[in-house]
Amino acid sequence: MSGHNPTSTLAERVRIALNNDFLRNAVRFTTERLRTNKQAAAEQIGNWEEWRERGRQIRLHTIAHLDYYLAQFAENLRRAGGYVHFASTAEEAVAITLQIMAAKQAKSVVKSKSMVSEEVHINQALEEQGIETVETDLGEYIIQLAGETPSHIIIPAIHKNKAQVAELFSEVAGEPLPADTAVLAAFARSKLRGKFLEADIGMTGCNFAIAESGSIVLFSNEGNARMVSTVPRTQITMMGMERILPSWEDLEVMATLLPRSATGQKLTVYMSAINGPRRTADGDGPDELHVIIIDNGRSRQLGDPEFQEVLNCIRCGACLNACPVYRHIGGHAYGWVYSGPIGAVLTPVLNEEKEKWAEVANASTLCGACYEACPVKIPLHDMLVYIRRRNVEEGRTKRTERLGMKTYKVAVSSHRFYQLALKLGRIGQKPLVRDGQIPTRLGPLKGWNNVRTAPALAERSFRESWQALERELQQEMAEMSPQVKARLEELAGKRGDRHEQ
Amino acid sequence: MNNERNPIIERLHRQSLQQQEAFLDHIAHRLGRERITTPPARPFAGAPDFWRGFTLEAEERISLFLSNWESLGGVAKRVRSMDDARAYIADLTDRMQAKRLVCEEHPLLADLLPEGDKEREVTVWGGGDPAHLLKKAAEADIGVAVADFAIAYTGTLVLTSSPARGRSISLLPAVFIGIVRAADIRTKMGEVLSVIRTWDGGRMPAGIHFVTGPSRSADIENDLTIGVHGPGSVHALVVDEVDGR
Repeated sequence: MSGHNPTSTLAERVRIALNNDFLRNAVRFTTERLRTNKQAAAEQIGNWEEWRERGRQIRLHTIAHLDYYLAQFAENLRRAGGYVHFASTAEEAVAITLQIMAAKQAKSVVKSKSMVSEEVHINQALEEQGIETVETDLGEYIIQLAGETPSHIIIPAIHKNKAQVAELFSEVAGEPLPADTAVLAAFARSKLRGKFLEADIGMTGCNFAIAESGSIVLFSNEGNARMVSTVPRTQITMMGMERILPSWEDLEVMATLLPRSATGQKLTVYMSAINGPRRTADGDGPDELHVIIIDNGRSRQLGDPEFQEVLNCIRCGACLNACPVYRHIGGHAYGWVYSGPIGAVLTPVLNEEKEKWAEVANASTLCGACYEACPVKIPLHDMLVYIRRRNVEEGRTKRTERLGMKTYKVAVSSHRFYQLALKLGRIGQKPLVRDGQIPTRLGPLKGWNNVRTAPALAERSFRESWQALERELQQEMAEMSPQVKARLEELAGKRGDRHEQ
Repeated sequence: MNNERNPIIERLHRQSLQQQEAFLDHIAHRLGRERITTPPARPFAGAPDFWRGFTLEAEERISLFLSNWESLGGVAKRVRSMDDARAYIADLTDRMQAKRLVCEEHPLLADLLPEGDKEREVTVWGGGDPAHLLKKAAEADIGVAVADFAIAYTGTLVLTSSPARGRSISLLPAVFIGIVRAADIRTKMGEVLSVIRTWDGGRMPAGIHFVTGPSRSADIENDLTIGVHGPGSVHALVVDEVDGR
């Protein structure tokens, strides 16, 4: 099984991704489509900045009062007849799930998409107990059959082409199926329909939980989240502890921001609010509803001024579609559950093995497109800088990098050393320079020059050229209009004053 | 539903009550303060003011809902009366050669098909064994239900669950027909949420489903596929005059 717990390095995973032409084209095409749709949807409703700001305010408030709203949610859900469980770690979440399975003597589970369930590796744990676990989102079903992990939060199987899907489905069908989307989708529909009707347990994720009524809200387009929360007798919902909203009126804001940011839809085909188990006289819906509230590293971000806002995330995937790095490498290179800019932040901050995940924060150009795209204005690019800073402060950098930085510090902290370094550099580079460029891939320039060439040091530094430049400037000033000249002289005079002080 | 608890579930429940305190205390501790037990002040809640003030006239709401539903790939029809709606359903049933229907138990939906129609079976939800109802809904070609509301701005039908209106009706059959009274169409979601919130003293229905067009997916090579798990063919009938039957 690839992903989630890779033994490869970020650079190795990136190289694999960059060499996969289908993946690169598919990721580019998909992100372009989603981004264009999002832009159109934001323009359609108008006042997008006001919606974003309101979304941010609601999320900030909720996280700042998280204990209150979680307590209120738990109380209201219990009052509606549901069960609430609290899991501090992935292991606890798995243990609670397995106990519910045992109580229900469950043999099969149907799941709708849940990122947090991927965090805790629930599928693996269930399979180990001999409980059949079927992902029912079409994309998740495809990658489950392939034994892979999602490459995009919203479209998990963008890295698979039709022929590959046909191959996977043919194996399940026991007969060859054509690489035709309609045929493949119809096969999945009928195959999964059987699974829905037989399953003992339905497992869902949770887009939002509403504190004032103890409701959970699910957004889906295919209808599988509705199936999972309608047909099986028992429903288990896993939610990250930050998924909460205070009230129903706040849901309108999130229902405006989430689908538009994710796919550019005004609303997903289905938005379902589940308020406890079915009422006694209802003909369908689960008899028993369990909600497992999961921490798994989230509480470490609380009270940390640099990272608390990452809990505002509503998992729309807009930052992936905007990110120039993600658009080239796709999701698997990030190595864990979440990809793109949000993954580059969540992976190192939610995981405890800092050493292992430190380098994921380097998969960014810090351009800030993620922040621009984020519907709740999370400053992801700033957070990436903070993670890098912590990596340096806590010694999670390469020895050569530390050595290089130390040398640099010495060189730039004294004018004389700096001059000397430049002189030595100019002499040292002579055998390497070709047409003003240094193309060598040897030594410390390897990493940089693998994909570009370094510029050679100039014959004369800017400082050395300054006298000549100043003369030129004065000559030009003679041709300037008297007003401009006066203004410039006035400025120069002021600057001179300051220098003298 | 929790009268006879399984011992394992009972133990989990007791354990949860204990863990809850430690879990929430830890959150408060991380936030650097004591636990909060009184409702916090909310200077910013719900949609921005400009949005709250946005509302459309009745006729605009109807036409916007119809055009949104159509643009999503659904069929939208405005009919004068329930008689017209029944005629539409009968005609669609004929054209599809549908054999089985499942419908909500609702006064508007009585006598859905012409009397003496032995060719077709209509299962009326409402009471009865859940396993039997589920089987009937799974076999049905067409599901018919009356929506509580429609939302014009997004092209959405709102269907709450009840003993008479199963969730399966709008989910399991390949074709769904949703009927909505013209007077029940609202401009935007917030107007619906605030009403449902206060129904029955805050005891909300167990399931509230917002349905916006046919089931869809783009998971295989970005190809749009209609009708993946839910109905692929969805018909919204807006009825102008309801005789209150």
